[in-house]
Amino acid sequence: MANLNYRSLLETNNYLRNLSDTTYWLCITRTVQESKLFPMNPYMLVSYLNSFYRLPTLLREIDAATPAEELGDRAREVSLKVDTVNAAWGMPAFYLIGREMLMNWGLLRPTDAVDDVVDVLDFSRRFNLAYHRNDGHLTNKEFGDRSQFLPERTLQVFESDLHGVVPGDRLHTAATKLVAQLSQFAFLAHCECRIGLHNSGPYDFGNNRQMIMRDFFDLAEGDYPWMDGIATQLPLNNLTIPIVFKDTNFHLMDDWASFEAEPGYNAANIEAVGMYTSDPLTDGYIPVGMDNADTLADTMEQYREILNEATTDLWKRIANWSREQMIDAGALVYSSVGKDFAHLAGTYRQDDWFQIDERVQRFKPLMNDEYGRDNLGEMVGLLSLPHQKSNEYTMARYSGMNQNMLTGIPYSVLTDDDYAPTAGDQFSGSSSLPEKSGLWTTSAGRIDIDEYNRRAQGFVPAVLDGTHRYLDEEWVKWNHGTAQADELYRLTQRGSRNLEGRGSGLRRADLPTTDTAKGSDDADR
Amino acid sequence: MKDARAIELETLDSGYRFEYSATASLESEPDKYKRADRPASSFTDGLDSDGRRHVGVGDNVIKKSQTVSGPVALVSTIEQVMEFLTDGIPPGTIAVIDDSGGTLTAPIIEGFAGVICLGGTVRSHLGILAREYDVPTLMNCKINDLKNGDMVELEVTAAPPAADAYETGDTGHARIWLIENEG
Repeated sequence: MANLNYRSLLETNNYLRNLSDTTYWLCITRTVQESKLFPMNPYMLVSYLNSFYRLPTLLREIDAATPAEELGDRAREVSLKVDTVNAAWGMPAFYLIGREMLMNWGLLRPTDAVDDVVDVLDFSRRFNLAYHRNDGHLTNKEFGDRSQFLPERTLQVFESDLHGVVPGDRLHTAATKLVAQLSQFAFLAHCECRIGLHNSGPYDFGNNRQMIMRDFFDLAEGDYPWMDGIATQLPLNNLTIPIVFKDTNFHLMDDWASFEAEPGYNAANIEAVGMYTSDPLTDGYIPVGMDNADTLADTMEQYREILNEATTDLWKRIANWSREQMIDAGALVYSSVGKDFAHLAGTYRQDDWFQIDERVQRFKPLMNDEYGRDNLGEMVGLLSLPHQKSNEYTMARYSGMNQNMLTGIPYSVLTDDDYAPTAGDQFSGSSSLPEKSGLWTTSAGRIDIDEYNRRAQGFVPAVLDGTHRYLDEEWVKWNHGTAQADELYRLTQRGSRNLEGRGSGLRRADLPTTDTAKGSDDADR
Repeated sequence: MKDARAIELETLDSGYRFEYSATASLESEPDKYKRADRPASSFTDGLDSDGRRHVGVGDNVIKKSQTVSGPVALVSTIEQVMEFLTDGIPPGTIAVIDDSGGTLTAPIIEGFAGVICLGGTVRSHLGILAREYDVPTLMNCKINDLKNGDMVELEVTAAPPAADAYETGDTGHARIWLIENEG
């Protein structure tokens, strides 16, 4: 349970206010989402409440097994679903918005559940500090809407191994079509929300080129019960496609992991692509079809075909859902954004993450489409709920008005014990969706959850073991070329087509040039 | 649960009916929702000098070198999507979609020659997917009433809105023309 003192509360409230400001900016500047298929606003409200009631208990168990900062290290090294939009922003934000709902209804005071709030935000802050370690910030927003997690050793492998393309060649076409199909499928599998997609970067690749990482998660049988029997021919649950662009400046990469570019994102400017996978059981990024450009094009075309068919299969399944099933599925997608922490820690239980808590079920009759829309709009857009006001002299960061989305914890809790420290940790819940019966698609094959947990417990990627964990970019700057630095770099270079075993002494000029420049290894053009 | 139901019942007893966003809501509880479709935003009719009728505006997602023309198909229900899935999409069809989400039309979006979306922004999910699939698309459209089969032309040669367009209100620069009316 939380260590309540003045310092921990100051840190909690500071982090909370930053989240509040950033979330407001995201909500008013990005886009309002709607769907004719899914009752999105009702499901979002249900998800926030589900997060409020369940998340603190789940995070305490995870934190005890694998501390949050260690989980941040894991997420920094490869692409995991505990990423910018899911874990760094969504998990604490959804929890806190659930708290606001209950305060608005008069069912909670700002002093109530104080231990829960402190614990959730402490976990989240420690995760974020470790996740963003290489750029030294807490959020993308704090870094000026940039997102640069990866160390040089990983980026050198990408720069050396990505395959060059020109618009119209086979690999360029295969890559752009696969990315479109993956985006489509990820939106559908995630009930119209964007959390199955992730973008990060940009990284400077020299010669007026920038690289962005495009990740797609939960593409096959896994945690989501509605994915049982879908895309079973896809051997991997997650795919990462690094893409190098020429003459394009990605000037914004926000905390929803979406980007803005100048000039706009244009497939004609793509110069090189690759494909990798990673999950809680992989030791680094695993190349997928990267042997040569033809093999990569083959693989991308094959995956696209599988996902095209899977999109139709899944759409037909979802189209037959009842309204309640759509709400439950959407709510569970949102409230389970932290579920992969449990996969990493080996503490995952399906019912923890894929039931609507009984305490939340009470509120479902309120959740018609109009109330969902208006409650959400007032709470995160207009900030017009009475309790969101601050005194008349204040001017909030982005709106300039005396109102904040998220409510801080009064410091009076340090001397006044008139509050409930926690929402409690006994779960009972249910779901209108069919129970999960399939297996989990992982880099270790399709396995059951006991095997998944067993493999995850105690697994530490080599670059994060005791001897390497603290060898960061600052250390490398002063120690490149040493045996210890070479060993670290060689761990990341395992499986690299062009850099295997090369060590830490390379600069950009020493890297093998890309296929484009070499004019070799071309896909059919 | 009982209290929550009572609140809703009191509202419905007063004669009030809720607005819906998802068709599943209207279909599952038709007595609870208004059966009002989104009204087409009225747009000033006007004949261009070349005889085309200017019938709408929107925000262009991807700048193209040429405009795109084709017959209109209004798409707003699961049943319509299922029909297109079963029977295929006639070549050249331009979809008019009143949903800026990407899931309703998920299995068929790639088959359209163009899209007129009556909501959202270029950053909405449908806008994102249009960009990825390279389907000429106007988002946030305001149009006169269009009927299935009407031939329209989309000005997808227009510049996409600026990054801050939705804050400044500087939107709606791509035009939609009616070329031939089904009558």
